[in-house]
Amino acid sequence: MHIIETQDLCHTYKGNIDALKNISFIAPRNTRIAIIGPNGAGKSTLFKHFNGVLRPTSGKVLIRGEPITKENIREVRRTVGLVFQNPDDQIFSPTVEQDVAFGPINMGLDEEAVKHRVSEALRTVGLSEYRTRVPHHLSGGEKKRVAIAGIIAMEPQVLVLDEPTAGLDPQGVREIIRVIRDFSVRYGMTVIFSTHNISLVAELAEYIYVMNNGSFVAKGTVAEIFSQPDLLSSVRLDLPILPKLISSLRSQGIAIDMGYTYQEAETAFLKAFGKIA
Amino acid sequence: MIEDLFDLEQVTSQKSVIHSLDARVKIIVCCAAIVALVAVPYSPVVYIVSTVFFLLFLLLWALSKISPVIYFRRLLLALPFGFMLCGFQIFFKNRYYTDYHSLLELPLGIHIYYESVEFASILLVKFLVCYSFIVLLSSTSSLQDLLEAAGRLKVPPELILALGMMIRYLFVFGIIYRKVTDALKTRLFDPFDHRLPYRYRIVNMGYMMGSLFIRSLEQGERTYASMLCRGYGRDSYIFIKEKPLLRSDLMFLGLCLILIIMVSLLCWYDPFSLICRFEVLPSYQG
Repeated sequence: MHIIETQDLCHTYKGNIDALKNISFIAPRNTRIAIIGPNGAGKSTLFKHFNGVLRPTSGKVLIRGEPITKENIREVRRTVGLVFQNPDDQIFSPTVEQDVAFGPINMGLDEEAVKHRVSEALRTVGLSEYRTRVPHHLSGGEKKRVAIAGIIAMEPQVLVLDEPTAGLDPQGVREIIRVIRDFSVRYGMTVIFSTHNISLVAELAEYIYVMNNGSFVAKGTVAEIFSQPDLLSSVRLDLPILPKLISSLRSQGIAIDMGYTYQEAETAFLKAFGKIA
Repeated sequence: MIEDLFDLEQVTSQKSVIHSLDARVKIIVCCAAIVALVAVPYSPVVYIVSTVFFLLFLLLWALSKISPVIYFRRLLLALPFGFMLCGFQIFFKNRYYTDYHSLLELPLGIHIYYESVEFASILLVKFLVCYSFIVLLSSTSSLQDLLEAAGRLKVPPELILALGMMIRYLFVFGIIYRKVTDALKTRLFDPFDHRLPYRYRIVNMGYMMGSLFIRSLEQGERTYASMLCRGYGRDSYIFIKEKPLLRSDLMFLGLCLILIIMVSLLCWYDPFSLICRFEVLPSYQG
């Protein structure tokens, strides 16, 4: 039984706009999945289905094998936490602490449990010192981390992040990468994220779904997807800079191993230059 | 309620003879019907004029091919105001009648008068027919078309610019509101969830409205700054290009105006009394 599964999921918005067409998706436990695709591909719509914010026009969304119903919607939202692309859509309380406590209070937890969860969530995202700060005075990266803390305080088993690095500076991106990796490695969470930052996909994802016009056009491991540059360019995406450079060198006859992450590429270059065996 | 904002656009984007008319024509016909009906003096003649106007409305609605359900839904939204406006009238005397006959005597010296009931029913009929024409106008023309039409009808550019921005940001607000409510749902907040303390729900709804206010303020500042960057000033206006009226638009406008003017004139003045008056006048002068 997969933690999230969709079967032939279709969603049509008012005005007969087909946002999702026969989406079949599987998210096993403790995996990191990237969903990539151009703007308007249907990624955000799909994420809203995982959390029961939208209802399918046809097809099924199964959370831990159960379809989403009115009766289990609260349980679904405890299981699957959704972090919105724009943190301003999510953060509304006067202080960081109150905003992070919002979800746990709605779950009906007692005060002690809420306090504990807030402290843990803020510590995990590295914002323990910001408890009493006013959210709209924070930077974009800090707001993003508050938004994530607000969701992980509910201790979901799946964390869904819509464009987690959109609008962040390089330092902000690095912090988000660290936080996301921690969720998966340290807490065993399933992480599903969408992004246009292809380098982030190589660094974080174990499995990739490529989306275009409301359908999946490809799925596979990082190596399987990034070995198809034509597929990526057909959906207005590009290879990350390092594998692109290595491909170019290989096509010019230089013997070098392929590397998708920074670390893999560094090892490949050192090996090619004879610095390591 | 805010979701209705998006439905409005969906209905106006349908295809029909009425939808394809120039928005100026629809504005003029709608205003003419309202002015003509409002101008008919308070007397039972209003019922006849209203019936003819309502038949005209029904014909135009049928031609627009929009579901009657949409009309009834929009009518339902306004009915409480209409009933409130007219309902109170039955208890009061008004300046349109000299003699009053009590229909019902209530405690505390309150009376329901026959004449007041008649006045209230006339008011309600006028309200319903006028509102129906507004529903027709707003269901067959997009807000942007109405704005451009108002500009072409020489409504002051300052007003057009302000209205244009209001329309744009009404939708921005709608989208932001939708996102915020979705974000609240994902964190299990429901203002009608009785498991949560009443005060907590009220406080959080207050926070949500406060955050919407702050975001509106910030958005306003950003938009104003970007307007200034593009040379916004006292003499700025929205560019609206010239658009001549088609022959079909003019024909429709002519037919509707003739009908509206003729019906109200014929019902307003008894044609026989008009003829008599013209006959009497020369002999009186002599």
